Amino acid sequence: MDPKLDLLYRLADDQLILGHRNSEWNGLGPILEEDIAFSSMAQDKLGHSLQLYGLLHGLGEAEPDTVAFTRNAPQFHCCQLVELPIGEYDFSLTRHFLFDHAELLRFEALAASSYEPLAQVARKLRGELKYHALHANTWVKRLGTATDEAIERMQAALNFTLPYALGIFETTAAEPEIISSGLFIGEAELKSRWLESIAKVFRQTALEMPDVQTLAPALGGRRGEHTGFLQPLLDEMAEVFRLDPTADW
Amino acid sequence: MYGSASTHDLPTTAATGLENEDPILLAEFEARIARGEKIEPGDWMPGLYRKQLTRMIEQHAHSEIIGSLPEGTWITRAPGFRRKMAQMAKVQDEVGHAQLLYSAAETLGKTREQMLVDLINGKSKYSNVFNYPTPTWADSNVISWLIDAGAIVNQLANAKGSYGPYCRALDRICAEEAFHLKYGHDAVVHLATGTPVQRRMIQAALNRWWPAIMTFFGPSDKMSVHTEILMRWKVKMASNDECRNQFLDMYVPKIWEIGLTVPDEKLAKNEATGQWEFTEPDWEDFKRVINGDGPCNAERLAVRRAAEENGAWVRRALLTPKTQYVRPLA
Amino acid sequence: MNRLGLPDAPTTDAAKGALDQFGTYEVFHQKKEGAPFVYVGPVHAPEADVAFLFAKEQYSRRFACTGLWVVPTAAIAVTAYVGDQESAYGTLPLLAKNPAPAPGAADDTAAEEAAYAAGEEDYDIFHLKKRGKAHQHVGKVRASAPAEALQVAKAVFGDQRPVVNVWAVRAADVLRSGDDDRDIWATTPEKKYRDAISYKVQDRIEKFKAEHPATHQPAHGPQT
Repeated sequence: MDPKLDLLYRLADDQLILGHRNSEWNGLGPILEEDIAFSSMAQDKLGHSLQLYGLLHGLGEAEPDTVAFTRNAPQFHCCQLVELPIGEYDFSLTRHFLFDHAELLRFEALAASSYEPLAQVARKLRGELKYHALHANTWVKRLGTATDEAIERMQAALNFTLPYALGIFETTAAEPEIISSGLFIGEAELKSRWLESIAKVFRQTALEMPDVQTLAPALGGRRGEHTGFLQPLLDEMAEVFRLDPTADW
Repeated sequence: MYGSASTHDLPTTAATGLENEDPILLAEFEARIARGEKIEPGDWMPGLYRKQLTRMIEQHAHSEIIGSLPEGTWITRAPGFRRKMAQMAKVQDEVGHAQLLYSAAETLGKTREQMLVDLINGKSKYSNVFNYPTPTWADSNVISWLIDAGAIVNQLANAKGSYGPYCRALDRICAEEAFHLKYGHDAVVHLATGTPVQRRMIQAALNRWWPAIMTFFGPSDKMSVHTEILMRWKVKMASNDECRNQFLDMYVPKIWEIGLTVPDEKLAKNEATGQWEFTEPDWEDFKRVINGDGPCNAERLAVRRAAEENGAWVRRALLTPKTQYVRPLA
Repeated sequence: MNRLGLPDAPTTDAAKGALDQFGTYEVFHQKKEGAPFVYVGPVHAPEADVAFLFAKEQYSRRFACTGLWVVPTAAIAVTAYVGDQESAYGTLPLLAKNPAPAPGAADDTAAEEAAYAAGEEDYDIFHLKKRGKAHQHVGKVRASAPAEALQVAKAVFGDQRPVVNVWAVRAADVLRSGDDDRDIWATTPEKKYRDAISYKVQDRIEKFKAEHPATHQPAHGPQT
């Protein structure tokens, strides 16, 4: 596959599925003000995915609505992390923290991509992503230093989520060309920056970061191998759309 | 978004408590309102004013947060990016409006904790329309258009009321509400002018929702001592009948122009009087539902209760020894 | 459809602890560069940095701004409210000594430094010009306590009329957005899916009416 398509599908699918998942928190957050904040970030993710599907469309792929609403799980290239159900707020916040740190670093690097349309999108989204990471850091630092109950929950969430988060950096066959063409710095480099970035935050808490060398990363998502959660998510997402995909809604 | 000073649940006795209020302060208070000045939180106010406004603003806030549920359930199934993102933004706004309204009510002395508890325990009411289900995408669109439209009629009236914090909240709400109405109308128009499947879906939804829409503004106001006082104090700005008629005048033609019908043979405008005629809604059924016996009452409150309980550990964790509460200022 | 897999009806009433929803912070925003900061409303939050995040979402998610301030409600000193034609400064008790001028007003920086060293601090002053409107920042004064700050404000800003109500807050109690925070609002105007104006449905309606002419609108609507 064209390395640009390969990279863009992964990024776009990640944003779409995580945005969709986080939208499930609308109206159900732990406090009104945070409900509003979390919803903004979910909308931003959907907006990012739309821009990335737009780039794909520019490269000859179908329209964003078609690409997003008519593929099935084996055709999706998101990491398994993003398709997991929202669980409780400890899990969703932990996922938000781990994913958004990677996203901020990824888009900072993409601002220098050899593919100019992607570099432009990356530069534009900087302010939003900076804010998402700020939000995540604020919460992790707080909950990670608060009550015993909070620390226990966040530690359990971290232990559970980290193997899935490692799946963000799963490489595909296109990886060597992605790097050599200057499209992107590559998953290994991103992962190393990410590890340093999240460790810095965890050091300010009572949370212990497990040794990633001992963890089995949840791989397969980039190749279309997903958990049992993705297809039902897609079915729900497309429920109305599929009533008539040619209709104008 | 759904504010209306419903007089149908006011006591019908003449007891207002005004005889116990300082007559000089009361006269100054009424003179301030009469000359068009707003009342602000620092002012003296009669107990009845404080009580009625608190209840009205609180109910309005509850209506927003509960109202987010029937549309919220369609966010994950919204067809296409445009609808998905707009639906999310709209529901988010409703949560935001609840926050603004709770804040306004807090300036009168009731805490947000108490208001949330009263909601979950069924002690406080919210707009009855949200006790009905949204079985299809089109049901959600009917709410986005016509229920929002009804709410805007109320809000525009109440924005000219006497209490400063409520007016400021309503100004902010009205600014955000413009997009809701356009979005709802846009979605309904797309369905009504779309494929046969879409047209059938929207007509069925409208048929289901019309009875609830007709009860949205409440029954005809019993002209009691209370109604008269609340109008003098600019707490109640327009009668339920006036609001309903305004709504019908603005929206029934728009419903008809896209080929939709409403399930009421009698609905027609009397051009001579300017009043819309319609089949009187079943107010006994309305009372039954608003008092707990509707299709979704239990579910709505259960969702709110679960959300509050699931988030309790988070709130507990965030408390610091320095945390203190004083009433918000404005 | 309910999303939570709910249990059976509860047997006990819900209850909340007194600070379950924390305390409040008052929020001010600056609509555009150079404009004064204006009050927009409160947020409930445990601390200032969380209050800032919440304020950004609640008060600037749809309409961008160039600056945001948050301050604990408890930190604001408030005068009495007066009528729309009066001045709230008139309700303050008379002072024996002359209050100091506003910071920066005098050229005597040495005197200013001495004042700060002696425990005086900057206070931000806000005026409400009309009941029903919102408080607006008018400037800073220097004082060693809120009550004194109001007196100094009276000397400096007191001939502005009308002033329905005055707020004074220690500048140090205000958490302010920085210049490098401006990019947070960079993309706000581009989110067209939330703009009423981007929904243009009239053409569609006209096209439909043209294709489905109805000569008479009966009570229950036209037949299609």
